Amino acid sequence: MVMGWRRAVTGLLIVSGLLSLGYVAISSYIAEQLVYEAPKAIVKTPASQALRFANVTFPSRDDHINLKGWLIPGVLPDGRLTVDRVIVAVHGTRTNRESPGDHLLELTAALARNGFGVLSFDMRGMGESPPAPLSMGTLEQRDVLGAVDFLRHGTPPFPELGRPRIIGGLGISMGASTLLLAASREPAIAAVVSDSAYAEVVPLLEREVAKRTVAPIGRVPGVFAPAALVMARLLYGVDFFAARPVATVAGIAPRPLFLIHGTADDYVPIVNFRQLQAAASSAAGSRVTTWVVPNARHAQAFKKTGTEYVTRVVAFFDAALGAAA
Amino acid sequence: MRRLRAAQPILVLIVLAALLVGLTVIAREISARAGFLVERPIVLFVWLGGLVIASAVFAWVIRRSIRRVDSTSSGLLLVATALALASPLALMLLQHPAP
Repeated sequence: MVMGWRRAVTGLLIVSGLLSLGYVAISSYIAEQLVYEAPKAIVKTPASQALRFANVTFPSRDDHINLKGWLIPGVLPDGRLTVDRVIVAVHGTRTNRESPGDHLLELTAALARNGFGVLSFDMRGMGESPPAPLSMGTLEQRDVLGAVDFLRHGTPPFPELGRPRIIGGLGISMGASTLLLAASREPAIAAVVSDSAYAEVVPLLEREVAKRTVAPIGRVPGVFAPAALVMARLLYGVDFFAARPVATVAGIAPRPLFLIHGTADDYVPIVNFRQLQAAASSAAGSRVTTWVVPNARHAQAFKKTGTEYVTRVVAFFDAALGAAA
Repeated sequence: MRRLRAAQPILVLIVLAALLVGLTVIAREISARAGFLVERPIVLFVWLGGLVIASAVFAWVIRRSIRRVDSTSSGLLLVATALALASPLALMLLQHPAP
């Protein structure tokens, strides 16, 4: 009888031990993959768009990571340069301030040609900024706040143009979600354009984990996703669960917010847009403008609509930030 | 004393888990000063290496405890230990991926 007991308990311990060990080890490996990707090199600068710019370096807020960026002065109709109104441009995940995938450089150039100065920078761990864990907005919002601090208090790279009178923000994909998180904390961001933002990142990451392959087991079953996210927090201090703009977006009101999303976005499904719209509109005095772009895939609204995109965004910023001095 | 001995596996499991988490956090804090490219492999090495060592220590403790099973209560404590050991698998239930 005792022998039977022992065998049964031994078997139970071996099975649960091996299963747990394998589950935790594989999840740890996936977490390690989630928080890092080698930075992508910047190929083109604003000079390729025939625009003047200055290379700038500024620290993120709170943790003081030195971030690299460009300050591009806006061009007024008479050809004079201006930084009276500056837009902080925030790129998406696993790319950089050039962001060729969603044509961010071309978009920022278009804004500059319409009289808006642009501060475009590499978030931590991407482009030319120092290596850092990817947290999908939780930590990166400090980079956006650092950009705002730099514009308000840093050494101006164009002293003859003075300091910005007013600051807006434009973000794409993860950059949009990061900007929403930052803007809800920082009233100096006077208006926000958010293109293809997610409402919360965990459901997206859980789906992404299930698309990954890990040698030698091959395709990773989705059941590893929750543990991988917990492991990212334990091992690298990255709290993906806190990347939830839907919980804070109402804090942007009464400042104007422009939400853009493509109907064919299969990376950040349009339900995210609906959730953000509902949350943002729930605040008293909210001023939410929306544009659903038919058949646009993830972060491709500018590529798909071109001039119309620029016209809408410029009109929004003109109304929100006032005319350039 | 006898009760404490029967509870030894589950206590060892808790202590090992706490030690492993604590050591990993310390390794992260120390290596973070050298930059994330250094921190990343060090943390993974400490964690996975610690998992292997902790597994070996736990297996040794369990082996001794199984030999000493002489009552229903000590057997049930081992079953409880097995369930605690399997508890990370419960994280699977938290899955709610986007469509």
